[in-house]
Amino acid sequence: MNSALEKQLNLLDYALASLWRRRLKNSSVLVVFTAVIFLVASFHLVTTALTETAGAVLRQTPEIVIQKMSAGRQEAIPVAYGEQLSRLFGIKKIVPRVWGYYFDEPFQANYTVLGVDPAAMPMGEHLVQTLLAGAWPGSAANQAVVGGAIRELLALSVAPPTVEDDFPDHSLFALHRPDRSLKLLSTVGVFRDETALLTADLIAMSLADARDLFQIPADLATDLCVYVHNPAEITNLARKIAAILPDTRVLTRPQIEQTYRVVFGWRSGFAAVCLLAALAAFVILAWDKASGLSPEERREIAILKILGWETADLLLVRCWEALIVALLAFVAGCTLAWLHVVFFEAALFRPVLVGWSVIHPPFALTPRIEVKDLLLLFVLTVLPYLAATVIPTWRGAVVPAEDALNG
Amino acid sequence: MLIELAGVNKIYNQGRANQVQALTDINLTVAAGSMVCLQGPSGSGKSTLLGIIGCVFPPTSGRAAIGGKQLARLPDRFLTIHRRQMIGFIFQRFNLLSQLSVLENVTLPLLPLGVGPRQRRQRAGILLERLAISHRENFPAGSISGGELQRAAIARALINDPPLILADEPTAHLDTPLSREFMAIMADLKAAGKTIVITSHDPLVAQHPAVDRVVGVSDGRIDVP
Repeated sequence: MNSALEKQLNLLDYALASLWRRRLKNSSVLVVFTAVIFLVASFHLVTTALTETAGAVLRQTPEIVIQKMSAGRQEAIPVAYGEQLSRLFGIKKIVPRVWGYYFDEPFQANYTVLGVDPAAMPMGEHLVQTLLAGAWPGSAANQAVVGGAIRELLALSVAPPTVEDDFPDHSLFALHRPDRSLKLLSTVGVFRDETALLTADLIAMSLADARDLFQIPADLATDLCVYVHNPAEITNLARKIAAILPDTRVLTRPQIEQTYRVVFGWRSGFAAVCLLAALAAFVILAWDKASGLSPEERREIAILKILGWETADLLLVRCWEALIVALLAFVAGCTLAWLHVVFFEAALFRPVLVGWSVIHPPFALTPRIEVKDLLLLFVLTVLPYLAATVIPTWRGAVVPAEDALNG
Repeated sequence: MLIELAGVNKIYNQGRANQVQALTDINLTVAAGSMVCLQGPSGSGKSTLLGIIGCVFPPTSGRAAIGGKQLARLPDRFLTIHRRQMIGFIFQRFNLLSQLSVLENVTLPLLPLGVGPRQRRQRAGILLERLAISHRENFPAGSISGGELQRAAIARALINDPPLILADEPTAHLDTPLSREFMAIMADLKAAGKTIVITSHDPLVAQHPAVDRVVGVSDGRIDVP
């Protein structure tokens, strides 16, 4: 074998033996470093998956939403407003929508109630793709599709009940109208877990049922959904709509997407700062550990140097040691992070990232692991560690050989 | 001559308040295949002189040539390489790494040379056999006796087959029988053609019949007989 390669193997072998000899110190560094990488990697996987999930769900939403504003407050919008926009070129369809928040006192939970008319929506036939089971409410009244969290909370099953089903019918649940009368609804579908971020606390029903629940007259809606022919024209059309209907607020899908990005960005930024602080603390610890040569280590270096080891050889051994620790921690940290996100539903970060709803969406995130993400994590974690250990290592490697002559 | 020192001076911390003149105008020649004992009290400059002969550091001034190479002209890296090829060291306390096995200690000088594990084992095996400690090769150095440590240190000094062996106070921590055993091994090495320089203030070393010359060192100077 080539002697240069053999030399590298010898030094690597020595580095491994050296790691083993100082196993207590090295394993403590390994454990802490693995924990730091685990936290950073988990967080990165969760935020990436959440952002992608939000993006995927928002792609199904209308391009423009019009809400009526009165003295800065949102109020019901007349459906007739839509007729004023019919002369605008580029609008495919205008669909009224009724929605609102419903506080369920016995369960101390907030639901989002949404009334839509799938038949009137351009993408209506695709809505069934968002369902795990069942179907969208048809023309029959008092039917609803619920999010997974609500189904679990209310222990609902999906109708229609079959003859084998036990009594009572577990697909039924009731909500209070403003006059305290009960509105009975039958669960006919459940949203897919992939959409849980936005649908976990959602109860979707027909427009008429939503109007009935909130006691909204038939000529009013919560907002109007505008579908356009050319997505590139969304901003232009929004501006024109705002000009025609000055007492409305016009929201575009890019604006909503931006809001989600800001919400996640703020939350992820906050947590990232905390994690980077932990990483920085670890790097300082690593620097400190690597700087402090014990008398035994100093003696070893002096002996090796007098025996003919060059400073570069010693530096290489220490670099191998740091690289082995860093790679082990990286692989272990990333693997644990993946397990944490996939099998434990990112339990550590759930409160930080999805805390705006009383019913927290259950996670069914399958993070995509891409080479660029791994590289980013590597650059963020392993490189600072190597940088923090190499300089003190060099300082250690320049221990003079004559130290070995002094005892 | 294997060792040629002419007008060698060594000053530590030159130009600073704590400057120390360790060696002054040292002139010394040692022929290949001979054994020389540097004798003197502690702090006389023996170890500094040994450090210069051992290519551990260059002299501050003067001419020092070891194996025909001028040390003052060699950068640190080449001093190391020259040391690796030319010199085997035996230290006062043997300086074995206590957590490594005897075999690992003995083969340490071979690692940066790119010698493979099989060849390392083979070369160390021959030496350990010759020095009668092959039965201890897998023992940690921290667990063997003083005599075995001494022989392991000699094996390590010889593993590169260097022409020059330097021993710094090798018998300082040995009892008389072990000191005699050490000198017997040195005598064998001399007979095998090695050049040996030993620093010691032990009369047993200085008076050993294999020693060709005793050089007195005091206050950083060589005593004139």
